Amino acid sequence: MRRLTDHPILSFRRGKKITFYFEGQELKAYEGETIAVALHANGIKNLRKTPKRKRNQGFFCAIGKCSSCLMEVNGIPNVRTCITRVKEGMSVRRQQGRGEIID
Amino acid sequence: MTDLHVLIAGGGPAGLATAIEAGKVGLNVLIVDEGIEPGGQLVKQTHKFFGNENFYASVRGFEIAQELLKEISNMKNVEILPESTVIGIYDKGIPVLNRETDRVDLLKPERIVIATGASEKFLQFENNDLPGVYGAGAVQTLMNQYGILPGENILIIGSGNIGLIVSYQLEQAGANVKAIVEAADRIGGYEVHARKAKRLGIPILLKHTIKKALGITQVEGAVITEVDENWQMIPSKEREFVVDTICIATGLTPSVELVSQAGGNIKYIPELGGYVPERNIDMRTTVNNVFVAGDVSGIEEATTAMIEGRIAGLNIARDLSKKIDENRLNDLKEQIKNFRSGPTSQKVCSGLQKLGFTIEREKFVEKNDDDFKKYEGKKRPIIECPEPIPCNPCETSCPVGAITVGENINSIPTIDYEKCTGCGICVSKCPGLAIFMIQELLDSNKAIIGIPYEFLPLPQKNDTVYVLSRDGEILDTGEVTQVTDFGNKSPVVYVKIDREHIEDARHIKPVTHSRNDYVCRCEEITVEDIEKAIDEGYTDFEELRRYLRIAMGPCGGRTCRLNALKILSRKTGIPVEKLDPGNLRPPAVPTTFKTISEGSEKNE
Repeated sequence: MRRLTDHPILSFRRGKKITFYFEGQELKAYEGETIAVALHANGIKNLRKTPKRKRNQGFFCAIGKCSSCLMEVNGIPNVRTCITRVKEGMSVRRQQGRGEIID
Repeated sequence: MTDLHVLIAGGGPAGLATAIEAGKVGLNVLIVDEGIEPGGQLVKQTHKFFGNENFYASVRGFEIAQELLKEISNMKNVEILPESTVIGIYDKGIPVLNRETDRVDLLKPERIVIATGASEKFLQFENNDLPGVYGAGAVQTLMNQYGILPGENILIIGSGNIGLIVSYQLEQAGANVKAIVEAADRIGGYEVHARKAKRLGIPILLKHTIKKALGITQVEGAVITEVDENWQMIPSKEREFVVDTICIATGLTPSVELVSQAGGNIKYIPELGGYVPERNIDMRTTVNNVFVAGDVSGIEEATTAMIEGRIAGLNIARDLSKKIDENRLNDLKEQIKNFRSGPTSQKVCSGLQKLGFTIEREKFVEKNDDDFKKYEGKKRPIIECPEPIPCNPCETSCPVGAITVGENINSIPTIDYEKCTGCGICVSKCPGLAIFMIQELLDSNKAIIGIPYEFLPLPQKNDTVYVLSRDGEILDTGEVTQVTDFGNKSPVVYVKIDREHIEDARHIKPVTHSRNDYVCRCEEITVEDIEKAIDEGYTDFEELRRYLRIAMGPCGGRTCRLNALKILSRKTGIPVEKLDPGNLRPPAVPTTFKTISEGSEKNE
């Protein structure tokens, strides 16, 4: 996994560089990227542990349809990280099972 | 928006086209779009579209999205609500979730357009949930929308248009597509897309399927196998690939949930991708105020999605504002009929017949009889349009009117070489990259070939490049004589080649090795190749030999073995005498099996 710079057809306009956290680890992303995309750019494809069989899963569709990318974002579980923008200071964790809702 | 006339669920090509038509007559329109930027799947399409000029033919998908969005941004009565989803349809109204504000609002529009598109079909094989197994659309999103390459070595499952296009795009981005696997005995997508993939050297393995993904926490490989005529895997025909990404491109299925919730009938029609809404020719569902457009009404492609959207929009305009351009509506219906009249639309048409539509077959030209050979020596295009598909930019772009597709857009083009000036615009415009320039240099055994080239680095005049065959094999080297840029990212690179290759030379690639300091003459292995392999971790001579084929050529390693060992010693710091020189195998010189089998044993 790597960020593309030169491309024969496209030019990638990236936003401001920001910091977010994955499992407590500080990572860099660009504003405008989704959480799942930013994790991919940092070499992380394993996004959650499934509820029943405890399988590692990553995303499948990347457009918010398949719900394979559900993660815990700022303490809130079941966030579709493929269509949620990453933000400065955001804390992202691999979702364990169905996630726990804390009031 | 106080008085909402039209709510459109989905801001892809169908939804945007609907909004433009409804917006034009002054209706208040709200597009609810789930993505973080509108445009649907257009935003990640980097290839030029087929079709005709009225519907953005030869324009790249992401540029079509930009044009549609620009048109909408000029309409004050059309609003796009991004990062939002219609979560249901009820008698009392339509709840819309805004993810950004985390709020649900209940909206009560007079007409609803469901343009929710489709979702990827999932395929069953062992470990198919492993991170690194993606739908083809996901690979496009990562790579073309966000500029992140999901992996370096990719296996593609499915040879429909999406599988073929994604393969080509992955190579454009610098990845290595190991193979396209197709369970059927023929390629699913357009032949022009298949040819683009083949000349990059990507093998298309027919009658093969994936058996399992390998890896613990993410994909590290894949096992594929051949299938028999009953689609059963043949255990003795298994093969393993070292890949970090598996891309499933086995098709799409319409996202009809909202249609069903609105009370619309849905019907299972496999030719259209699964469950599809029942609807009439005006895109109205069985519920009077609910319309559909695009892939949700049957899997097709973005051009027909845009036409369907416009048809829906015009009907809504008639319903609500009484303003309707009947001629335009009829013209659109004619265009979509014309579009679907070719052989590549047969599947869609048989699906539409099951929905109650009558499909009239129209005539089209099935092959051209161009007198290409008669004009030997003239710089001219050769049109290799192998099957009738709905597309005509070659005709409309030709500045002298030398190319004709004719009334049916599915027809194969013909060219009048007398009129042709050899400008090469058609080569650059052809969405299928199926036109090439050729000029035989009659005073020599050379020829010039012009290739549409969408890769980096772009060769420059006087560069030496490899000339590749239709299957991606290196035929020879050639010298670049000219590069013509038409400003559409499909420049034409002219290369001087041996005339004997003009039938087969259809691609080029840069000469990548920087030095020609050969260690192994038989297998053409340079110092650089060996050093790179050692850096990759092949630090044992036997491993190096199997990886690079060094010392495996006809000379048996007499020329290269010691020099290769010395490089290995220099790189690893291990003296040559401590390195294992590997096996020294027979035969000592090249010998035919015939000679051996006809020989006799002495001293029996």
